[in-house]
Amino acid sequence: MKTLTLIATLFFAMHISHAAPSKYEEAMQENISKLYASRTIEEYQEVINKFDRIAAMEKDKWEPLYYAGFGYIMMATEAKEATVKDKYLDLALEKINGGKQLVPQESELIALEGFVHMLRVTVDPAARGAQYSGLSMQAFGKAVGLNPDNPRALYLMGQMEYGTAQFFGSDTGEACEKLKLAVEKFDTYVSDNPLAPAWGKGGAIAAMERCQ
Amino acid sequence: MRDTITIFILLLTATTVFGQTEISGLVTDNRGEPVIGANIFIVDSYDGASSDVKGVFKFSTSEQGAQVLRVTFIGYETYETSIELSGENINLTIALTEKVDRLDAVVISAGSFTAGEESSREVLKPLDIVTTAGATADVAGALNTLPGTQKVGETGRLFVRGGEGSETKTFIDGIEVLNPYSSSAPNTPGRGRFSPFMFSGTSFSTGGYSAEYGQALSSALVLKSKDVPDETRTDISLMTVGADVSHTREINAGAFAGKLQYTNLTPYFEAVSQRLDWERAPQSMEGNFMLRKELNTKHELKLYSNFSWSDFIIYQPTILDGSIKDKIDLTNNYQYINSSLKSIINDQWSVRSGVSYTNSIERIKFNGVKNNEREEGVHLKTVVANDVSEKFSLQMGGEHFIRNYAFEYAALPDGKLGFDQGLTALFAEVDLYTSNRFVTRAGVRGEYNWMQDRFYAVPRLSVAYKTGENSQMSVAYGQFNQTGRNDLVRVKNDLEDEEADHYIINYQREGDGRTFRIEAYYKNYDNLIKFTQTDNPESYNNHGNGYAKGIDIFWRDNKSLKGVDYWLSYSYLDTERDYRNFPYAAVPSFASGHNFSAVFKYFINALKTQVGGTYSYSSGRPFNDPNLDTFNSEKTADYHDLSLNASYLLKSNIIIHGSVTNVLGLDNIFGYESSEQTDENGQYVLRAVKQPASRFIFLGVFITLSKDKSVNQLPTL
Repeated sequence: MKTLTLIATLFFAMHISHAAPSKYEEAMQENISKLYASRTIEEYQEVINKFDRIAAMEKDKWEPLYYAGFGYIMMATEAKEATVKDKYLDLALEKINGGKQLVPQESELIALEGFVHMLRVTVDPAARGAQYSGLSMQAFGKAVGLNPDNPRALYLMGQMEYGTAQFFGSDTGEACEKLKLAVEKFDTYVSDNPLAPAWGKGGAIAAMERCQ
Repeated sequence: MRDTITIFILLLTATTVFGQTEISGLVTDNRGEPVIGANIFIVDSYDGASSDVKGVFKFSTSEQGAQVLRVTFIGYETYETSIELSGENINLTIALTEKVDRLDAVVISAGSFTAGEESSREVLKPLDIVTTAGATADVAGALNTLPGTQKVGETGRLFVRGGEGSETKTFIDGIEVLNPYSSSAPNTPGRGRFSPFMFSGTSFSTGGYSAEYGQALSSALVLKSKDVPDETRTDISLMTVGADVSHTREINAGAFAGKLQYTNLTPYFEAVSQRLDWERAPQSMEGNFMLRKELNTKHELKLYSNFSWSDFIIYQPTILDGSIKDKIDLTNNYQYINSSLKSIINDQWSVRSGVSYTNSIERIKFNGVKNNEREEGVHLKTVVANDVSEKFSLQMGGEHFIRNYAFEYAALPDGKLGFDQGLTALFAEVDLYTSNRFVTRAGVRGEYNWMQDRFYAVPRLSVAYKTGENSQMSVAYGQFNQTGRNDLVRVKNDLEDEEADHYIINYQREGDGRTFRIEAYYKNYDNLIKFTQTDNPESYNNHGNGYAKGIDIFWRDNKSLKGVDYWLSYSYLDTERDYRNFPYAAVPSFASGHNFSAVFKYFINALKTQVGGTYSYSSGRPFNDPNLDTFNSEKTADYHDLSLNASYLLKSNIIIHGSVTNVLGLDNIFGYESSEQTDENGQYVLRAVKQPASRFIFLGVFITLSKDKSVNQLPTL
């Protein structure tokens, strides 16, 4: 009887393991938490390496590429030299483009691409403003178009609009509306993908608070 | 029973011990330095690790048998090795090979200044060309603040390292432009015909340039036309000297841009008194059209054209008697069309081809006598490039020039002089990266001149070596040839090309917002055209020669002072020539020994205003006093100029820009002209060549209309 219960339990366990995290998901979850906890270039590089290892094996998954790209973006924000920042942004774009080949219409990837262009502007606003702010707004627009509920796309787009409006001394109303909407979406939007990105809420709240 | 359990547990532990293999080791570069953050992993598994600050890594894997271990890191070639996983610990020492990466690698910098958007390593930004005070948005004006140039204020042209203005050639998208400066009255500066707003990249070479560029003795100015952006917008500019309107429209797989400009200096000359006696102030009408279209993913077509018409009438007092005035009535018509096609054949091969047509007609009535000049040219060019690998690339090409020049003047025996020149050229060049630190570029160019029935073969060679993270040295050598100036060759058509050898050594240090460059050069001129009588072809020959040597220093810093970006340049030049009608070797009148420029730009955030200033200095220039026995032995006073500008962002789409040249109102003298005959005392009379007015003041309002309200003309101001 005992054995029977055991076997039954085992079977049950096996059955629910279908719904329980796979090895891929488990490894990803662990890494994603590590990525969000990283602060230094070395820490980011280490966790990017892990995403790279997963990506090399899971050739049809876009998430490892997304997070590797996000890691390089964070490295770029940590880097001091303009040439180094550019190098990390190039690598981020390479990962993002890899992801886009698998899922060309993924709003999160397009929003991340816009983020790369946005950071290019900050490297040299005078020389690059015109070209890259246009490219980033285009990407954010497309990301919002693909998923109007994507809080990160709304947040980044609002951020970009806010910065532009502030630089030119024009009305920030529209930008602030977008940031407010982004904060709402961060609370309400739930993706059906357990590995979907979750970053950005803190930044969006901080950005919205600057509006008041 | 207990034993069975023990055995079972033992077996279980044993399998786990056997199942896990520990892999550890060290990752270094080929110099033995540790590589930090390398990714070491078993292919097709999640198992792996990153190397730490000492290059050390360690991980265990449950994989079994023959596996592949891969090591990757940014900037290095991927390393792979087969390993046998049997449970026994594996210890590895892995040396990675540096990958040659063109973006990171050393670049050939001898003799060249580039301005581009892409790389953060550029010395100049496209924006610098238009925001430099005193340049009044003229390409040559801005480049004149760089070392290696001499200020020759009465021409507005680029005089490079002891070379004449005509020794600098302009290319748009690799295709030659004839007559790139607008017409101007004698001794007043002309402007470049091409608005800097139309170009995204500028490469200004002061010597030793690529075999791709020929028929230029001293310098190549290579402009890259802007990719017309995929957006629809209209720009309107209202200026004290005229107005322009431009419109950009997105079309299927490309964009179209058109610009119309009208300038008229009459109101300005009414308001600000001029030294010159204008009957009709200069006016011009100009149209620019650009098109970019992707024919498909592999072929991109670009069209660029410029049409302009300008005219003026001026009275110039004769030197001997100021009360007698010569009347000069000038009309210029100019057309330039350039189309280029870029084709990507595959990962390695690409082809650039283009054709340009220039037609410049200048009608001058000198005291009513016809004095017309016309130049028409066609340039065809194809360049094939092959990136064999990151380490080696090859480019070769061919080009053909047709140039037709005619000068009509009633006083000439036939009433006309001129020539038809055909020129066919082939060139090939290789870039070889021995490592990220060392690059060699070697090229050769052969030209056959059909008019002279002569063949020229010239070699070009540059090497660059990265001496540190942010510093590098380069040396360059090259031979250059150029057909003589139109006003000489028209007298005797079969004159040989003038020739120059360049030797350049350069050191450059860049990083942390600062750039330092120092360059020394020696130039040897040979085969220069000489003559004794202007109109007598018999007196013309190629027996002239000369030299130029000097040092150029450049310093730019946008880090030390917050919000301030400044650069300083200094050039020392020592040159002599025996050419034209010189009786013996002498310093030509355009050459000044010392040139210095200081350019500064400051963005005041609170006022949304950018202010800028440029100070320029030039030591005295030689001039000839025919009353003396010596030639070109006299010197003008030193030249000083301080110019200021400011741009104010009124609204997000409206900009107000103002600039003033020579704020201090100094009375600079560029040189002296002498009378052709002697006066009643048997003396030649000298007359100073001065600025047409002590200051030039410019005011303009620039408005942008587009769907995206934040777009303005700031990037172009």
